Amino acid sequence: MKLEKIHTHDLNLYYGSNHALKNVSIGIEENKITSLIGPSGCGKSTFLRTLNRLNDTIDNVRIEGDVKIDGINIYDKNVDVVALRKRVGMIFQKSNPFPKSVFENVAYGPRINGVNKKKELEEIVETSCKRAAIWDEVKDRMNDSAMGLSGGQQQRVCIARALAVDPEVLLMDEPASALDPIATAKIEELMFDLKNNLTIVIVTHNMQQAARVSDKCAFFLSGEIIEYTSTTNMFTNRKHEKTQNYISGRFG
Amino acid sequence: MFHYLEEELEQLRTKIIKMGSLVEEQIEFSFRALFEGNLELAKTVMSRDDEVDKYDIKIDKLCQRIFALTQPVAFDLRLIMTALMINSDLERMGDIAVNISERAESLIGHNDLMKKMKVDIIANKVQKLIKMSIDSFVNGDAELAREIIKADSDIDRLDKDIFELLTNEMKSDNDLIIPCAHILTLVRNIERLADHATNIAEDVIFLIDAKIIKHSKDPKNLEQKDKL
Repeated sequence: MKLEKIHTHDLNLYYGSNHALKNVSIGIEENKITSLIGPSGCGKSTFLRTLNRLNDTIDNVRIEGDVKIDGINIYDKNVDVVALRKRVGMIFQKSNPFPKSVFENVAYGPRINGVNKKKELEEIVETSCKRAAIWDEVKDRMNDSAMGLSGGQQQRVCIARALAVDPEVLLMDEPASALDPIATAKIEELMFDLKNNLTIVIVTHNMQQAARVSDKCAFFLSGEIIEYTSTTNMFTNRKHEKTQNYISGRFG
Repeated sequence: MFHYLEEELEQLRTKIIKMGSLVEEQIEFSFRALFEGNLELAKTVMSRDDEVDKYDIKIDKLCQRIFALTQPVAFDLRLIMTALMINSDLERMGDIAVNISERAESLIGHNDLMKKMKVDIIANKVQKLIKMSIDSFVNGDAELAREIIKADSDIDRLDKDIFELLTNEMKSDNDLIIPCAHILTLVRNIERLADHATNIAEDVIFLIDAKIIKHSKDPKNLEQKDKL
């Protein structure tokens, strides 16, 4: 039996009267990469954001059902949302480094979590940059602005920044859609290395990327999960015609 | 691309090589069963055919997975297509080894006749071609593959000679009709083995030189290495 890191049960989400997620029940395995695919507006990014309560910041949102991480419902009243987001990091489509130096970007999380000693911060920054496969490219540019790096480098600095607080889960919302193929390959390689210590959930519009990188794959349509299975199964023995039509590019 | 694809392709190459070695051994055992009248060895060949079939299915599944998950291109794409084609040839060769083994019992006591009909000569030549075909894949050696295709015509000639020898033998002695009929079928099977080795050689040329030469009547395809 594979260990489930995240489990959602009958998860429903409404933006006002718009029923965006419908009875989503899914188990996400630990130390695996799970990809969420589906056409625009199908609810995959909305679902991703329920996993670290980013939807809480949107007006008019109503959420029903359970989202459990390590068996604890993250929507319980006594859950500390800041602590939750430290455990569940997020990488966005567009890299969003702070207008600060590379060092300050990566050191930001540990600093606000109370790490103040320079040597300790330097160690965390170096380790995080190495884990994010960006160290060799930025080790001599630590004091330069992160905004001056290439798109691919910025995205990896953002990953290093997320890793610096030692998360258990990494949510990635189309992390490579704005990158060229070489930078994309670096991010994908990196995901392979990271999954040894992390659980990764990635939203992607790129079928080939989902096929290449993920262990399990969920196909969303109109707020529902149509099919959730191993990626090999999804791309070789899909059950539903809608899945076949989507992954082969016939609609979406 | 990245190491996932490399690992999958290496796994595929390894499976083809292992299946090739197994089939090569099955054929060697079937000939030994035939010429030594060793029926235990014949049984071994028959029982191990399941292993060959398992490789066949594993390789098919692996190719399907690589196609679906990695969208291979250029050499990688040709490697997977080649693997599928070689897989099919090896599986058929495994079946032929079983057919040869099944015939061993009927030909016990007819070693002299088989020798007179040059069965040992054609079997040796074909075994060498099979080894060469698998080596050409393992080493990515298109030149060796071209040698196999050239050598196949010798087998075809020998096959015709044997047919003539057999018909003459049957005409001269009615008592030899049944063993000669067995030998006729046997030689047809051995000749088919050479055809499968030739198919593998053509697949290797497709893999290395990106050139489809099957069904080609143009001898130039065998004389010079085609430019990509």
